[in-house]
Amino acid sequence: MAAKPYGRFKGLAMVAVAIVAASACSSATSTPTASTAAAGSANPSSSASTVSHKPVTISVGVLRPGATQEATDALNLQISEFEAKYPWVTVEPQEYNWTAPTFTAALAAGTLPDVFTIPFTDGKGLIQQHQIVNIDSRVRALPYIDKFNKSILANGQDDKGAIWAVPYQAYGMSLTYNRTLFKQAGLDPDKAPTTWDEVKADAKIIADKIHVAGFAEMATQNTGGWQLTVMTYALGGRMEKVGDDGKVIATLDNAATKAGLQWLHSVRWDDNSMGSTFDYNWNSINQAFAAGQIGMFTGGSDLYTAMVQNNNLNPADYGVTIIPLASDPNAGVLGGGTLAAVNVVTTDAQRDAAVNWIDFYWMNKLLTQEGAVADAQALKANNQAVGVPTLPLFDKATYDQVQVWIKDYVNVPTNQMTPFTSKIFDQKPINEPTKNTQDLYAALDPVLQAVLTDKNANIDTLLSAANKQVQTILDKG
Amino acid sequence: MSSPAVRTVAAVGERTRRRPRIRVSRDGLSTLAFLLPMLLIFGLFSWFPIVRSLIMSVQETNLVSTPTFVGLDNFARVVADPLFGKAVSNTAYFALLALIIGYPIPLVLAVVMSETRRFKGLYSALAYLPVVVPPVVSVLLWQFFFNASPTGVFNTMLGWVGLGPLPWLQDSGTAMPSIVLEATWAGAGGTVIIYLAALLSVPRELYDAAEVDGASIWQKIWHVTLPQLRGVLFITLILQLIATSQLFTEPFLFTGGGPANATLTVLLLIYHYAFQNSLGGDYGMAAALSIMLAAFLGVFTAVYFRLTRSWSTTS
Amino acid sequence: MKLRGSTRRRRSALPTGRGIISDSELHRPRVRWTLRLIHGVTLILLLIIGLGPLLWLAKSSITPTQDTIRTPMSLWPHGFDLGTFARAWSQTHIDRYFLNTVWIAVGSWFVQILVATTGGYALSVLRPRFARVLTALVLATLFVPSIVLLVPLYLTIVDVPFLHMKLINSFWAVWLPAGASAFNVLLMKRFFDNLPREVFEAAQVDGAGPFRLFWSIVVPMSRPIIGVVSVFAVIGQWKDYLWPLLVLPDPNNQPLSVRLPTLQPTTQLDVFLAALAIATLIPIVLFLVFQRMFLKGGDLSGAVKG
Repeated sequence: MAAKPYGRFKGLAMVAVAIVAASACSSATSTPTASTAAAGSANPSSSASTVSHKPVTISVGVLRPGATQEATDALNLQISEFEAKYPWVTVEPQEYNWTAPTFTAALAAGTLPDVFTIPFTDGKGLIQQHQIVNIDSRVRALPYIDKFNKSILANGQDDKGAIWAVPYQAYGMSLTYNRTLFKQAGLDPDKAPTTWDEVKADAKIIADKIHVAGFAEMATQNTGGWQLTVMTYALGGRMEKVGDDGKVIATLDNAATKAGLQWLHSVRWDDNSMGSTFDYNWNSINQAFAAGQIGMFTGGSDLYTAMVQNNNLNPADYGVTIIPLASDPNAGVLGGGTLAAVNVVTTDAQRDAAVNWIDFYWMNKLLTQEGAVADAQALKANNQAVGVPTLPLFDKATYDQVQVWIKDYVNVPTNQMTPFTSKIFDQKPINEPTKNTQDLYAALDPVLQAVLTDKNANIDTLLSAANKQVQTILDKG
Repeated sequence: MSSPAVRTVAAVGERTRRRPRIRVSRDGLSTLAFLLPMLLIFGLFSWFPIVRSLIMSVQETNLVSTPTFVGLDNFARVVADPLFGKAVSNTAYFALLALIIGYPIPLVLAVVMSETRRFKGLYSALAYLPVVVPPVVSVLLWQFFFNASPTGVFNTMLGWVGLGPLPWLQDSGTAMPSIVLEATWAGAGGTVIIYLAALLSVPRELYDAAEVDGASIWQKIWHVTLPQLRGVLFITLILQLIATSQLFTEPFLFTGGGPANATLTVLLLIYHYAFQNSLGGDYGMAAALSIMLAAFLGVFTAVYFRLTRSWSTTS
Repeated sequence: MKLRGSTRRRRSALPTGRGIISDSELHRPRVRWTLRLIHGVTLILLLIIGLGPLLWLAKSSITPTQDTIRTPMSLWPHGFDLGTFARAWSQTHIDRYFLNTVWIAVGSWFVQILVATTGGYALSVLRPRFARVLTALVLATLFVPSIVLLVPLYLTIVDVPFLHMKLINSFWAVWLPAGASAFNVLLMKRFFDNLPREVFEAAQVDGAGPFRLFWSIVVPMSRPIIGVVSVFAVIGQWKDYLWPLLVLPDPNNQPLSVRLPTLQPTTQLDVFLAALAIATLIPIVLFLVFQRMFLKGGDLSGAVKG
């Protein structure tokens, strides 16, 4: 089960929800972008459309279970705003939460909403199986489609470049650290480690002084393979390679992964600075971090929101910096994100409305001042995080512009995040492995678990066995 | 079957059977009406799925395309999967541990409890209480107990007697035994009650007779109690083996099969095949593995009953 | 000697009286005190091991999170917090999942009783021509481990054959398959087999048809067995995990057993433990009230000897 998309989703869903509420407070005049979002259908004019549309209802999967009343109110406000703009559309919100086993069940059962979200890793697979709708023509009509960062957009495209799903959030991996624990251990929280050696040293200091895990790593529900890939990229390696004949080759046993595992082995067994819990997944590592049991760990850069919402994080504890990269030219930071897709069980009219919704709900806040400000206002009013660092979907200029617009509403401790935000754009972003990504992660989980729980684990044997396993899956196509 | 009452019933039964069946029900329709719930429910949710399982095991099925016939391919792929061997050995390991720990304890407990003159209800209630707790709650509770840091509940208790902290679920060597501990806690009570009932129905005359022959307490247990219990013991043994071979909830919630597949059981593997992949599972492999397990259990049970038939007493 | 033997024989049907150890042995002080010691130790062990974890749960559900994490075995070093139950109830919406659990239990109880009584009645009393075949077919399912059914049953729920209904995400997906319990049917059938046929004959002479016979004669006489089946049905459903996990993807429909693990990562420890305590309460209360029925259900001796 891949918990990570769950997590990414969580953070940005909250942001999105708040934006929804914020937009409700703004004026109802549609901006040119929103109006042309009524793509596919005949009428590109503003809300008071002169061409009559047949009434249509779409269900949207936005709120996850356990959403607060404020979040629900915010969403409902946004929905009424949207319905004012597109009077022929009725939007029904539906609880939704992506996890690997439940997604398949929901797909089989037909209980997915008309608009739902999936992680980058699953985009191509679902496209290949035609389990989402090809919305290329509708999306191409959006004016900002060319502004998309090409490699991010690629996650939602098929081999021929047609767009089947729209990326609406992207994030880069980071090193999250507990500033309070740093202080207690005598380390300077503003001088976060910048090399893996420093991470190792700091972890040992924290573990020795405070008797908590100085460094921790996720290792279950596919997150182990995910984080191992992060480390591999940071050390200049790759997990998959595409041959000249288009065949995908598994390269799990590359030198960088081996080095990463050896580093982890050393931190775990030589220094004993990884504590005593090694079966963390995305949720439990956040919980442990917020409870002050972990000094540092690698994870998404947007965890602040989730931890404050769900895990009672004390904001002063939160610190985030970039992942140390080796001086290898191939070294880079793993990026990920979430796509918005349309259910195949929809009519043409519903698909048009769905794309309108995607544009309105997720894109608007990244492109227009109104949208961004409204979103920030709503977030702030609902005690949700404003200003959590993400990666730009379009170009840096647009991203910076949004930051300026929402400057007055930022309520996260951005100065605690500068080690990340000031340097992330200098790092080379690398997409996750493209083929059978979840299977690859799943095959690596036991390798990482073995290294962390068995002192005599043979890294080479484990990696080559995993490599063979993944190659078999890749060959099967 | 010798008392007069019994003979009458038997005779009546004879007479009823010799009567034409239609006599009992006015019309076949009412019989059908009574049979309908059972036929519908069993048909749709038992017989049909069993047949379908057999069919699916020789097909390639995902929920997207129509199933295609692939012969024994699924079975071959399951056997070739390195995780298959691991799952089988883990399940066998668990069954063995559960047998060693979980089989004698209820028996000893039941024997002790059957000798109490007072408080019998209290003992029974205490022993059965863990069985009543929903398994999910037990697992979540024990998961907390198994926290591997020195301040974890069990590690704190070990510290009281001077023993060092154990890694419990965090180490492939101790993970399975930890699960066995929880499973025994949660399940022993049911077996105790079964044994208790059996113990209480041992004819007292046998003990009297043994005492006449000068038997000590131990000899009475060994020569009277245990042989009398043979039937129940054999049945609970096979029931326990069948239950442990289908272990799912505990490894699923405790460790997800880890660390490093040390607690991956056959059932967990079936679940992985069918439901783990977010892009659609391999239902053919899942069906194939379930059939293999069912066949194994069937053969095992048959052999077991064959072997023990001559050993179990019947009176 | 002989006299004692004959007295014993008459009393041997009762569960009280002597066990392995005879009265005369009990008079020997060594035996008596050893036995008392064993019983004492056993009682203490049972209390610690059987009751201990539950007592810990009760204690910790009103202990603040930090205390439970830092010193789990201490008794309220910083006082206790009774508000956890209220928070568990409102924050985790445990009432909703609790109700789901109740609905699921009640529904599957009903289906199980319906199928078992009508099926058992038909097979035992009405005895159609193909009763033997049917009984054999039902018996056969007893030998098929439930795992074999998992995947195809799931696919059946997604799309019921012939009827083309979609049961997934509704309680029917849990209720209906629960009825397919060969154990229940055969248990009922056996009980009905042992009912005196004279009563049926008498009723038929009085003009009772099969429905009347069922409703007014057989069912009232079967209360004990219906009771046993009911208790096990409800408890079995309360504990069920994998099946509801698969067929109830919508969290709003999920019972407690499926919901609690998902709640764990996003809930504070003390609130979560309070939720666990609430989830355990009902089965325990049910058990304490219906103790006799539970403990009698373990009587397999009839199955072995009979």
